[in-house]
Amino acid sequence: MIAIQTSDVDIGALIYAAKKHGTGAVVVFDGVVRDDDITEMELEAYEDVAIRELEKIARDATEQFRLLHVDIIHRIGRLTVGENILIIVVSAGHRPEAYAGSRYIIEEIKKGVPIWKKELTKDGGRWVPGEHGHGKGLPESIPKFSGIE
Amino acid sequence: MRGLRWHDTTENAKGDEEVTAKIRFFARFRELLGTDIMTDVAPGMMFTSLITTIVQKNPEGYAAIFDENDAFHEFVILMKNGKRVEIGDAAKTPVMDGDEIAVFPPVAGG
Repeated sequence: MIAIQTSDVDIGALIYAAKKHGTGAVVVFDGVVRDDDITEMELEAYEDVAIRELEKIARDATEQFRLLHVDIIHRIGRLTVGENILIIVVSAGHRPEAYAGSRYIIEEIKKGVPIWKKELTKDGGRWVPGEHGHGKGLPESIPKFSGIE
Repeated sequence: MRGLRWHDTTENAKGDEEVTAKIRFFARFRELLGTDIMTDVAPGMMFTSLITTIVQKNPEGYAAIFDENDAFHEFVILMKNGKRVEIGDAAKTPVMDGDEIAVFPPVAGG
C-alpha cells in the first residue's frame, strides 16, 4: 500500500500482509512526532506528485534490493507527540536486503517527495527546514547503499 | 503587465487568445500567498513573469521567493503539471492553457 492519509494504520496488519512467500525478514520503519517542546505537528503534501514519487521509490527499492513487499504510508494533517508520521514496511528473503531497502526508501523520501512539516508551539509555529531541494541528491553525510548486489 | 487578471467566473473575462492557469503554493509560501489561484494569462507569458505578477502584491511573499536582485532564491522549487522546471528555465518556459504551476520551498517529509 502506498498512501498519503490523515488516519493512522494498523502496523501489525501490515507486517502480517508483508510476509509473502519466501520472506525471511520484515523491517518496519516508524517515524513518530518527537517531543521537541511542541504542541502538535502539521503536515502538508502536494499529494498527486507525492504519491507518484512514493510509488516510484517503492518500485526502485523493490528492484534494487529484491524486496518482496513494500508499504509506505505518510500521514498528513495535525499530529500530536508520539503519533506515527511515516510507516515503511518491507519484506525480503534476507535481512541485508530488507534493512537496505527500508533505509533507501526513507532517504529517498527525505530527498525529494513534496511533503512539509510545521512544528506548532505555544508561541506559534515553525516550518521544519528541508534538507534538500527536490531531487538534488544525497548530502555527503548520508552513506551510500552498498553491499547488496 | 499585459494579460493577467484574477479569475472571475461572473465575468466573461477570457478572450479567445487568453489561457487559464492555476498557481499552487505550498508550506510557508502557501501561508503567505494563498493557493489554488486561477488566473487568465496572455499567450506567451513566461513562468517567471506570471509568478512575479502574482507574488509582487505581497512584499513578504515576494521576499520569500525572490532575492534582492529579483531572481528566484536558489532553494525555490518550480513544477509544471507535476514535473520540475529548473529556475534557470523559468524565464523561457511559456505558460500554456490548463497548466498547473507549483511553487514550494525545500521538502521536509519523512
